[in-house]
Amino acid sequence: MEKKSKKKVGILKKEISRRAFIKTTALGTAGLGLSSWLTVPFTYGAEPPIKIGMFQENTVFATEYGYWMAKVGKAAIAKLNAEGGIAGRKVELFDYDTKANPAWAAGMFKKMILEDKVDMIMGSVHSGVHNACFPLAKEYKIPFFGGGSMTYDYTGKDSLSLHGGYYIRCHTHARSQAVAGWKFGFDNLGKKWTFLVADYAWGHSLAREFGGRVVAAGGKAQNVFAPPTTADFIPYLQKVDPDTEVLFTAFLGSAGLGVLRQTVEVGLHKRLQRYTVICCTEGIGQEIVGKESIGAYYIEYHPRHLDQVPKELHPYEKAYRKACGVDDDGKEVGNPMVTIAGSHMYSMWIYPYMIKLGIEQTGWKDSKKNTDLIKAICSLKLKAGPWCPIGDLTMREEDHQGFSDFYISRVEPDLKLKVLERIPKEKAMYEPEVDLRKML
Amino acid sequence: MEGLRVKLHSNQRTRFVISNLTVAILNGVVWGLIMALIALGLNMIFGLLHIINMAHGALYMLGAVVAWYFIELTGSFWIALIIAPLCVGVIGLIIERGLIRKIEDKPIITIICTFGVMLAVQQLVLMIFGGSPRRIAPPIAYRFPIFTLQYPLMRIMIALISIGLMSGLWIFLRKTKYGLWMRAVVQDREMAVGLGIPVNKVYMWTFVLGSALAAFSGVLAAPIVSVEFMMGREVLIMAFIIVIVGGMGNLEGSVLAAIIISLIQGVGSLFAPPSVATIFALGFMIIVLLIRPQGLFGE
Repeated sequence: MEKKSKKKVGILKKEISRRAFIKTTALGTAGLGLSSWLTVPFTYGAEPPIKIGMFQENTVFATEYGYWMAKVGKAAIAKLNAEGGIAGRKVELFDYDTKANPAWAAGMFKKMILEDKVDMIMGSVHSGVHNACFPLAKEYKIPFFGGGSMTYDYTGKDSLSLHGGYYIRCHTHARSQAVAGWKFGFDNLGKKWTFLVADYAWGHSLAREFGGRVVAAGGKAQNVFAPPTTADFIPYLQKVDPDTEVLFTAFLGSAGLGVLRQTVEVGLHKRLQRYTVICCTEGIGQEIVGKESIGAYYIEYHPRHLDQVPKELHPYEKAYRKACGVDDDGKEVGNPMVTIAGSHMYSMWIYPYMIKLGIEQTGWKDSKKNTDLIKAICSLKLKAGPWCPIGDLTMREEDHQGFSDFYISRVEPDLKLKVLERIPKEKAMYEPEVDLRKML
Repeated sequence: MEGLRVKLHSNQRTRFVISNLTVAILNGVVWGLIMALIALGLNMIFGLLHIINMAHGALYMLGAVVAWYFIELTGSFWIALIIAPLCVGVIGLIIERGLIRKIEDKPIITIICTFGVMLAVQQLVLMIFGGSPRRIAPPIAYRFPIFTLQYPLMRIMIALISIGLMSGLWIFLRKTKYGLWMRAVVQDREMAVGLGIPVNKVYMWTFVLGSALAAFSGVLAAPIVSVEFMMGREVLIMAFIIVIVGGMGNLEGSVLAAIIISLIQGVGSLFAPPSVATIFALGFMIIVLLIRPQGLFGE
């Protein structure tokens, strides 16, 4: 008796051969792929999305900056897409962590260019990361929008050799801070200064830029350099000259808190004025810095508290804060322990808009017109508005540097930063040391 | 008249130099005692158990972070000073039972694993505590004058607590049964086993004690240095240097090494740039190890 061969029966109670299975699967896969490819162009027109890479310090160091840069950058891209994208094209954001590690960040920069195929990159406050990525921006001719690095040299005379003109910076740096802020300190706080600053590029550039101007005006400048992660400042505070009238400090993170507090601990605050840049306590609430900071003067690039922002900017500032989840006091909505890095994060809000304007002005489609795009962006004169809540911002074509207003603030007894003086952007300008218009 | 003015100016400069030198020496001793306390826990684990605990800095940081939460809850620094080391001691127990015990005879793997623990703890704290530094207000805000400067009493208090704790530890190791067991295990583990000493328990409690000491030093240092997730990184290398220069397992040697290194850095930075002063301190370390590789008081 012959055995009946058992054939496998599928759920449809039909016999399924191997060939039929493979054929059906292949057809189904092709159909799915085709349908996804066909739907995307019709959503925003027939153009692929514009890809923007973004990286910032999420871990290791300067994380208080990185947190807000990422948050504001994402909010800006979401707003841009909600308003129709750029030239009818959706904007896609690729977000990475630099880990405050130049070698790692350069790897991420390259990954964004070669794998993610981004059209431009923005972000980072870390000078070392910038230095590591400049050669790549130059090699791949990709626009790199700086997040918050304060080293003047990046838009100085060495710009060409550093990045070939592919770097754009809308925010401040040590020289513009000095040009804007030195006179207030000299006229109101004192003429004999000591610069107790971090012993690396940022600290040195602040001491050089501010100190040079103080000395040129007939004052005195003493430099005391300490390691960037100094915990015990007493050995350095001891070196402050007995006749010093202004103690200018520049440290980040816990060292920034430490120097302010320990200046009070050794009683120096009784005989001199303390002056610093907001970078030292960005992302850190004054209540955390402590009452030892009362009476200290800060140079801010955008006021932390809404009621200190100029009245005419309030409509734009309120909308910007709402989009980024920030309350009137400069705290994260729902999380009052987290303070904004308000004088740095605005660059990530403005850059996407500058890119939009540049693309729409030049008709940019792809990297072939990157040079035209950079030229258009670097000649923008933005007016205060929803996309520029910090007030008017002027970009300078010669060195790709942006200028906006400054504010001199003082820490009041209620630990709020109260604006004493608004310094217009024209008073922060200096002669450019390079002319990148010729090279691009 | 001119000569009198010059003499007065010269006297002022002399007074300035004497004042600075006095503060530098005082601060060097005080800061040295603080560093000795930070190294104490590492000396227990490294010196006695020969375990290279790369997570020591993370435990120091964890002590400060836990203390911050308790101070937010209770408003009391002193309660946090007791509770935080206990909490971190429990974490040390988990690390020892769950990880160290399995690999304690493999030094390279111990280094890698404890390094991994350090990274994991840092990232966990970053996620929960956040990246911004926080402060712990000093429980004592009084300052006393030294010539032209003032010196915070808090630092003197920390130094005195360090001395008290180190004295207590010395008494524990020299005068108690458990201390005797610990010294016996260090001398000859097999003999200790043969004599009925519960070696595994000794290892475990030594690690727990070392972790608690790391946390205790973190709580004490926090009012000076601020609390942040990377604060342990700054002390780890110096702690290892102090333990090695002082002599592994030798607490007196660690205290002396910490004070000498701190004094060299503090006084040196009066006359030279800080980086040069640090080089002097490290130069001292190299010279000691060339002459006495076992450390100042090592055997």
